[in-house]
Amino acid sequence: MAFRTIDDLEAALRSADYLPDRGLATALFLSLALEKPVLLEGEAGVGKTEAAKALATALDARLIRLQCYEGLDVSHAVYEWNYPRQLLHIRAAQEGTVSEEELFGSEFLIRRPLLEAIDSDEQVVLLIDEIDRADEEFEAFLLEVLSDFQITIPELGTIRARRRPAVILTSNRTRELHDALKRRALFHWIGHPSIEREIEIVKLRVPGIPERLAAEAAAFVRGLRGLDLAKPPGVAETIDWAQALAALGREEIDAEVVEQTLGSVLKYREDIEAVRDETLVALIDEARSATR
Amino acid sequence: MYGSAIVRHVVTFGRVLREVGIEVGPGRVVDAVRGLGAIDLTRQEDVYFTLRQTLVSRHDELELFDRAFVAWFLRGPVAPLVRQKHERKLQAKIARDTLESGRSDDDTEVAGEPIELGASAHELVREKDFAEMTPDEFERVRRLMLLLAKTRPLRTSRRRAPDPRGDALDLRRMLRRCLRSGGDPVDQPWRSRKLVPRKLVVLADVSGSMDAYARALLLFLHALVGTGRGVEVFAFGTRLTRLTGDLATRDPEAAIARATEQAVDWGSGTRIGEALREFNAVYGRRALSRGAVVVVVSDGWERDDPGLVAKEMAKLSRAAYAVVWVNPLKGNPEYQPLAGGMRAALPFVDRFLPGHNLRSLEELAGVLAGIERRHAA
Repeated sequence: MAFRTIDDLEAALRSADYLPDRGLATALFLSLALEKPVLLEGEAGVGKTEAAKALATALDARLIRLQCYEGLDVSHAVYEWNYPRQLLHIRAAQEGTVSEEELFGSEFLIRRPLLEAIDSDEQVVLLIDEIDRADEEFEAFLLEVLSDFQITIPELGTIRARRRPAVILTSNRTRELHDALKRRALFHWIGHPSIEREIEIVKLRVPGIPERLAAEAAAFVRGLRGLDLAKPPGVAETIDWAQALAALGREEIDAEVVEQTLGSVLKYREDIEAVRDETLVALIDEARSATR
Repeated sequence: MYGSAIVRHVVTFGRVLREVGIEVGPGRVVDAVRGLGAIDLTRQEDVYFTLRQTLVSRHDELELFDRAFVAWFLRGPVAPLVRQKHERKLQAKIARDTLESGRSDDDTEVAGEPIELGASAHELVREKDFAEMTPDEFERVRRLMLLLAKTRPLRTSRRRAPDPRGDALDLRRMLRRCLRSGGDPVDQPWRSRKLVPRKLVVLADVSGSMDAYARALLLFLHALVGTGRGVEVFAFGTRLTRLTGDLATRDPEAAIARATEQAVDWGSGTRIGEALREFNAVYGRRALSRGAVVVVVSDGWERDDPGLVAKEMAKLSRAAYAVVWVNPLKGNPEYQPLAGGMRAALPFVDRFLPGHNLRSLEELAGVLAGIERRHAA
């Protein structure tokens, strides 16, 4: 295994520009040590997807991502035959000289993320993103793949993983996942980071940002999360916003610049309207006094 | 290998967790022991996360786990939540046992029984108001509901199945046939998309004014949940409670009792707007309502501001495929939707139905089966 202790992994993630809290570092460490998939749940924007990318960097592994959506099927997740090429191949050959084995050979196979991850000789981090969006039929199929790490293609036979990929599943909890799938995986809930950590994250991701600006931005976003919003901002939004503020050459926040840039923190019109005028001023005052 | 003391510790802790209601299988205990073997045991935080990540798989069990962890490993004061949950289970069990001993047959027979919804013997019971039924009649209604619940709204799945009248070529099979004809697609296998149940979300008012109907409706919902996945049920009074899990595993009567206990402050009235707000904020944000048929069951008596009801109904109707409001009071021919909350909600409702007797539930089932996307408002 690549990392002997949780501390080692934490340091490697750090040098991949990702600051995990201890719980997440433990989850990823255990996932590697026990060779089990890990399911990361949490509000949108807390860095679930980023964690997989950072792990791939830390392991110097290839990241393969499967983005789930309603209606995702085997031909988009696992493999598909290249029909146009197959048809051309039949036509080009003499009549009766093409056998079925030849036609369904691996040169006509289009590999999708799951097959790619299983049938790989290098170390792979497989990110199965937003699994809760996929249909339950697909979840059942995935369960099969994740328990045996093998895929069967009727025409070619069974392909077994020579190296088990590190598997990270993420879910926004739009629905409960099947128990059987959960049983196969370690589970970690990612909450919003503490204010200190969020400041640290901003400073890491927006190099050169003034200390004070980073602290005020983090405190302001934290204040927003306390309001009743349709979509409270995640860490991703804090980073985007801090980048915008830094690009504008700001040293600290004020009502004017916040109003100009609020669109990078809040993504719904109702939310932006809810944070006008007095609310905005109060939040700014609070953020500035918290960091003074 | 790891010390047998650790194994014993984890096994016992697993038992403690089971006692507070967290399901811990033997596989998980093995993972926990293996996990502890991989980390440095001197750091308490790491031990905590290792046990949590291997033994717990649901967000809503984290609090219970934390309490058990504190009590067991840190010898902290015993948390009261643990005891409450245990008692609740016991109550549910008692309720179940009482019900079962009074029952002459079990549910499995229902499926095989030839019940026709239109049979004249049932005519009376179909028309009768739920509020006026005897326990015996109620039992008959319960069985009819099982049949009704099988009608679910459908959506097209992305998956395709062979179908001679389908709309897409099955290229894989066609190609194989082409082999014989030298590349000419002589006959063409077709496929089509399957129909699968559409998501269904039910928000049921269980406050005092809905008492008589809530029981019947929850039985109906219980039957619905039993028809497969994709059904989510919530109860509300002054607060919102998610019932889906309870209805899937418990006796419906016990589930109702629990929902009422959790969701209602007696004598404080219904807060529909607040319940909808909570639903939109917590579950709507996670897209639970997107593309779903949402059924609200309530008499529309709002204690607080009807403005909030309108605002949240607007949000809900934007996300949902269609919104159905079931109001038992509508069963009375003289009923006018004058209650503030009801009036505020109506502009965002696609279908407005009564739900006071079995016939009206049949109507509901019919609507659910054939409902179409709401027109752009």
